[in-house]
Amino acid sequence: MKKLKYIILLVIVLGASCKKLNIPPQNIIQDADVFGSSGGIEAYMARIYSELPIEDFRYSPTRGLNYFWIISPFPAISGEALSRDQTSATQETFNYWGAAYSLIRECNYLTETLPTYSKSYSTAQIANWMGEARFIRGATYFALVKRYGGVPLVDKVLTTPGETIDQVVATINELKIPRASEQAVYDFVATDLDYAYTNLPETNKHGRATKYVAAGFKSRAMLFAGSIAKYNTTTLVDPATSNRVCGIPSTKATAYFQAAYDAAKLLDGKFSLYKKTWAAGDPNAQYLNYVNLFFDATSTENVFVKEYQYPNSVHGYDAYNVPRQLIGANGYSAEVNPTLDLVEMYDGFPKNADGTIKNLDASGNYVLYTNTMDIFANAEPRLRATVILPGDIFKSQSIEIRRGIYTGSSAGGINPLIPVGSTATYPTTNLVTSATATQTAYTLPNGTKMNPAGLSGVFGSDGTCAISGFSVRKWLVPDKPTSEVLENRSDQTWIEMRYAEVLLNRAEAAYELYSAGVTTIDYRTDALTIINQIRDRAGAPLLLGFTSVNDIRKERRKELAFENKTWWDMRRWRVADVEQNGTLYRTLLPFFSADANKYFFDARFDERNRRYTFDPRWYYETIPTAAIAKSTNLIQNPGY
Amino acid sequence: MKRILYCTTLCLVLAGSSCKKIDNYAAPAETLTGTVLDAGLGTGVQTEIGSGGTRVKLLETSWSATPTPLYFVGKQDGTFNNTKVFAATYKVSVEGAFVPLVQTDASGATTVDKSQTITLKGTANLTFNVEPFLRIDWVGNPVTNADGTVSVQFKVTRGTTQTAFLSDVTDIFLFISDTQYDGNNNYDPRYSNQVTYAGTTGTALLGTTLTFTTKTALPKSQTYYLRVGARTGYGLKQYNYNAPKAIAIP
Repeated sequence: MKKLKYIILLVIVLGASCKKLNIPPQNIIQDADVFGSSGGIEAYMARIYSELPIEDFRYSPTRGLNYFWIISPFPAISGEALSRDQTSATQETFNYWGAAYSLIRECNYLTETLPTYSKSYSTAQIANWMGEARFIRGATYFALVKRYGGVPLVDKVLTTPGETIDQVVATINELKIPRASEQAVYDFVATDLDYAYTNLPETNKHGRATKYVAAGFKSRAMLFAGSIAKYNTTTLVDPATSNRVCGIPSTKATAYFQAAYDAAKLLDGKFSLYKKTWAAGDPNAQYLNYVNLFFDATSTENVFVKEYQYPNSVHGYDAYNVPRQLIGANGYSAEVNPTLDLVEMYDGFPKNADGTIKNLDASGNYVLYTNTMDIFANAEPRLRATVILPGDIFKSQSIEIRRGIYTGSSAGGINPLIPVGSTATYPTTNLVTSATATQTAYTLPNGTKMNPAGLSGVFGSDGTCAISGFSVRKWLVPDKPTSEVLENRSDQTWIEMRYAEVLLNRAEAAYELYSAGVTTIDYRTDALTIINQIRDRAGAPLLLGFTSVNDIRKERRKELAFENKTWWDMRRWRVADVEQNGTLYRTLLPFFSADANKYFFDARFDERNRRYTFDPRWYYETIPTAAIAKSTNLIQNPGY
Repeated sequence: MKRILYCTTLCLVLAGSSCKKIDNYAAPAETLTGTVLDAGLGTGVQTEIGSGGTRVKLLETSWSATPTPLYFVGKQDGTFNNTKVFAATYKVSVEGAFVPLVQTDASGATTVDKSQTITLKGTANLTFNVEPFLRIDWVGNPVTNADGTVSVQFKVTRGTTQTAFLSDVTDIFLFISDTQYDGNNNYDPRYSNQVTYAGTTGTALLGTTLTFTTKTALPKSQTYYLRVGARTGYGLKQYNYNAPKAIAIP
């Protein structure tokens, strides 16, 4: 009996010792968990898509990507708008570097690991996922190269699974990868996007890449590369590798423009300009059509979108940017106020010979209007859909923008309040204004009362108003109740790439090819046809021809205003330092003449005298010094 | 219970105090001083203070042939002085609005290298002879006009004949400031007068006597500093300057 006890004990001891200890940790998700099921791969995809560097509603140059609090808006550094919280030129300050290489690693990890699980999936599924990973990697390298020039190219996972810290440290010098040439990075982006184009399907789930997204991104990236080759003047060669990390040889420009043109052409016939409710000769229909373009989920113009959904994934665009009189409970409003410089690019209102707005009559006095919208009565519909003009209707309200009431005599005409081109403050005589939204009404000669400033400004010292005389309209949801105009309450879709941009890429590339003397097809006519398609949809008069590439650039700036593209365009054209050279932006401020019972407009420089100077060094951003400290083979960009 | 507490406290105090490390490396105390001279004239090359002006580049080559460079900015009159530099071997050069002292070809190979290698111990005084892109010379003194504005006359000429550095003149700027530290990063835009040039229009003005006037009258009972800057489209488009002139508005 006693023996039996020992035998049982022996069995228990032996049995227990059979337990295997060499198993993967149970609390860490293993490759098989992720790549073994399509659900796992979808989750992986969701993560890398969310990290894709898109400058959308949640981006600001000083705060970063995927940031929630966007009160220093991007358009306020490109001359598109003035903002009370972003009052000077700047380069990006958030060091997009580490996050990019994390994302690149995630893409590399997927493309290296997925093939070992390929027997669980169809060929089409594998091609789709591999294509998406390469698309995201290509887009990420593009985000790096447009900021820094040449960056280290990492096309594989640099560590092996299970490597110890000591093993990593032993090979640390191999991990200090020097910068590749700027040209090599653009070529790498092109290769990734070509791979994506070949492998991705024609259609995919909403917000996911298709072959046409890859082609569209390629047209964008190659246009950048061509512009750098043609317009850049900075050179930096890494002596250790002979890589030209800043600048591309000018002889490469034509090949890049050709690649941009060819890539854009791939979308031909697959997408179209949104014209669902557009009607020829009907400005109002054209205006509504242009507003709807940004909100119609079935738009044939959407190439690549980033979707939001309350309450899981949100932004605060409406809260930060509604006109002052529609302010939400968080107390934000009017962060983006379009400059007169932007508005003057559009057509359909009286202009002087130099293109500036004609607010004075032949004898130099103000032109008087019954309503503030009268001067814009025939404005291009696209302008109304992009900018809230003073007195225009938004959310069933007339957006009232007025700087003050002029109480002087109007007999014989009203002289400009300050000399044209002056930066002086307005005189206090004959002028009633309001410092804040708490106003004291002024009694007009006919006995009625009127607040000196409009409900949406302009106030003398409170900046939460239309400080430029305009408020932004693009992207604002036209029927969002004020109770929902809150931070983290907006969920409209960001259209990262729409077909209009691809067409503009194509037109610009075509014109550059024409300028370079390429005559395989009539590129100039092709560019003109495209620009006129866009102008026709916008409700602008058609162009008969081009005087220079600036006609195409101007069209691009109008069409893509407030879509966070303009600043990058100014950089790649290398015009930012010329445009922002001690520059004051202009505003258009409406005044009411109590005597004449009419409105007039004063076009003047930004009252706050905020000057913008783009430092030529900023064409290549500072490589984060922390990155150089970690990887000492990186060389810094010039001037830092 | 109390004893355990005392013991623990004692152990922690001993363990904690033994961790103290003293950085006994001597603080940097050597001095690097010198001047950036216009090779043609022998005078200091005027610049703006701050990161947009002339700066000194130090490569500490004692440990590595390709060290991360150290920089410090020079003074407005072309001199520089740093009294807190570690003793070591340095390859020193200067960067600014002049023909680069170190030039490389398309492959990154050094074609010109006028940097100076020193073993710094005590004080080193270096002189760099450079060719500024542009020279700006006063012609006469500032003149107060009847309307209270101030006019100056000056000439802009090239400081180099090397064809690679003869880019077109893009800006000529009369800077006004109430301090002598006058330049593109510090000026009063109400009075300063900036003229930008497209194509070769600015280049055509080289060598001629130019007259620039403040935008508006300078307020009375104050001293202002006037300075002219000019730049070409080369590289980082840094300005060359003349020496500031003070004008006391009575």
